[in-house]
Amino acid sequence: MENEEIYERLNTVFRDVFDDESIVVKPETTSKDIEDWDSLEHINLVVAVEQEFGIKFNMNEVTTMKNVGEMVDIIKSRI
Amino acid sequence: MNLTSLVFLMFCIIVLGIYFISPKKFQWFILLISSIIFLFWNNLSISTIIQALVVLLTSYVFGILIDKYHDSTKKSKIFLIIGILIILGQLICLKYTNLFSITINHILKLFHIDFKLELLHFNSLVGISYYSLIMISYLVDIYRGACKSQRNIFKCALFMSYFPILTSGPFIRYNNIEKELYGKHKFNYDSMCRGLVRTLWGVFKVLVISQRIGMFVDTVYGDLATYTGFYTIIAVLFFTLQLYSNFSGSIDIIMGISEIMGIHLPENFSAPFFSKTITEFWRNWHITLGAWLRDYIFYPLLKSNFMQKLNKKCKKIFGKKIGKKIPLYLSMLIMWILIGIWHGGAYTYIIGSGLLQFLFIFLEDTLEPISNKINNKLGIRKEVFSYKLYQVIRTYLLFSFAMIFFRASSVGNAIEIIKNMFVWNPWVLLDNKSIYTAGLDVYDFRILIISLITLFVVDKLSRTGSVREKLSKQNIIFRWGMLYILIFAIIIFGCYGVGYNPVGFIYENF
Repeated sequence: MENEEIYERLNTVFRDVFDDESIVVKPETTSKDIEDWDSLEHINLVVAVEQEFGIKFNMNEVTTMKNVGEMVDIIKSRI
Repeated sequence: MNLTSLVFLMFCIIVLGIYFISPKKFQWFILLISSIIFLFWNNLSISTIIQALVVLLTSYVFGILIDKYHDSTKKSKIFLIIGILIILGQLICLKYTNLFSITINHILKLFHIDFKLELLHFNSLVGISYYSLIMISYLVDIYRGACKSQRNIFKCALFMSYFPILTSGPFIRYNNIEKELYGKHKFNYDSMCRGLVRTLWGVFKVLVISQRIGMFVDTVYGDLATYTGFYTIIAVLFFTLQLYSNFSGSIDIIMGISEIMGIHLPENFSAPFFSKTITEFWRNWHITLGAWLRDYIFYPLLKSNFMQKLNKKCKKIFGKKIGKKIPLYLSMLIMWILIGIWHGGAYTYIIGSGLLQFLFIFLEDTLEPISNKINNKLGIRKEVFSYKLYQVIRTYLLFSFAMIFFRASSVGNAIEIIKNMFVWNPWVLLDNKSIYTAGLDVYDFRILIISLITLFVVDKLSRTGSVREKLSKQNIIFRWGMLYILIFAIIIFGCYGVGYNPVGFIYENF
């Protein structure tokens, strides 16, 4: 799957989870860039991404991924 | 060993001296010997040695087994669960048996059954709540593939017992500290100065601020019949500051000492009293405990099949917005009860540092839309200084209220304190005399106010970067001037008292 397609699908997931149609994620996007992305919403986001791509993050990845770029790297390694 | 005692000072001087003159490859071993001495200081018995060995051997053996069977998820999971159960089982037996007995006794009393479980008093080691959780995270991290197991049992023992963290944390993670803990460290003059400044700042917070406030709080809480109304209100507000200066001060002391040895510990506080909500407050208060609970309990719980199924069901019934909040709140409730239990085997802790904190966060989250609507209708601007000040004060008051339970000897005692707050006696503030009868005289109050202002100015400055970094950029006269002021303030204004016996660190027993 191309990077472009992954980011497009991620945009849909992010917009759905955070109820914000204006979100456009980039590799360097972090929780600081999205208002509602706190530790409480993090798991909802992770689970939504898992469902979208049919993959599973392990807990180490869930707690250590620093930005969307790292999330995409993991997705690419699984699909 | 108390962190502001002469014994601890001598202990640190000797440890640092030997640490830097010994061959670098043995430095970690010096730390291990020092940590063992610290761990068993005043508490050496067969029982305490067994307690420590149970955690050490469990984490060492099961760490290796989890690592060995890493490819077989099922086997490594079984070893992980057994390891956690042993460590947790011992912690629960030593610290929470009485909570269980008290609960059973209450239930039996409700049914008028004339039977009482005996309360037991175990002699547990200092820091047991810290090193037990730290070793659990070590096992989980190996299972998750975040780190490899330590094959040298003595090195494993050092990670478990590293003496600076035994009194009041912070929680360390193996993969973050491994390199520095076992590494070779040259003596570095800059590191020593930086560490010393941090340690002195911690001593200032404990001796000048916390001990002084403690004199007032202890007087009022110790005689609830005499001290009521505004005495109680001030004591309640003061206790939060006492707790903060004591806890963050002890963290500064040990972080400074650790820094001198070239081992950097994670920050545990980030100016919590400038937080606008309780949610934000807990992001800045006891940060490493919050992170531990988030990574090892909250996230796995929320990601569990049960919570995910509940999430789906709730979304179907209540709609997406409300539905997704229900498993979230349920997980939060479980986490906050655990935080309360971790703080001590008593209901006062479960209420004060658990349930009430959850309630505040729950209300903040659920009432936010209503509060926004009211603010919009009344034209209240949220971005102005006055509104932010109101939010900061509100957070401080809510946290102080919860801490009534934390400080009280029982739930009944806490309720008595709350009732006392409603006695109307404003003249104790106005007659310029009464307020000085509760342990602090007029000079103490002046010293306290100036010290607290200093504390909050430093805290405020720390929000935009390291204060020591900022200080190091100043001219030499200013830098040394500040250092001398700090040293003399500790010597002159520190609360040593007659036959000075430092009050134990509030967080020491957790």
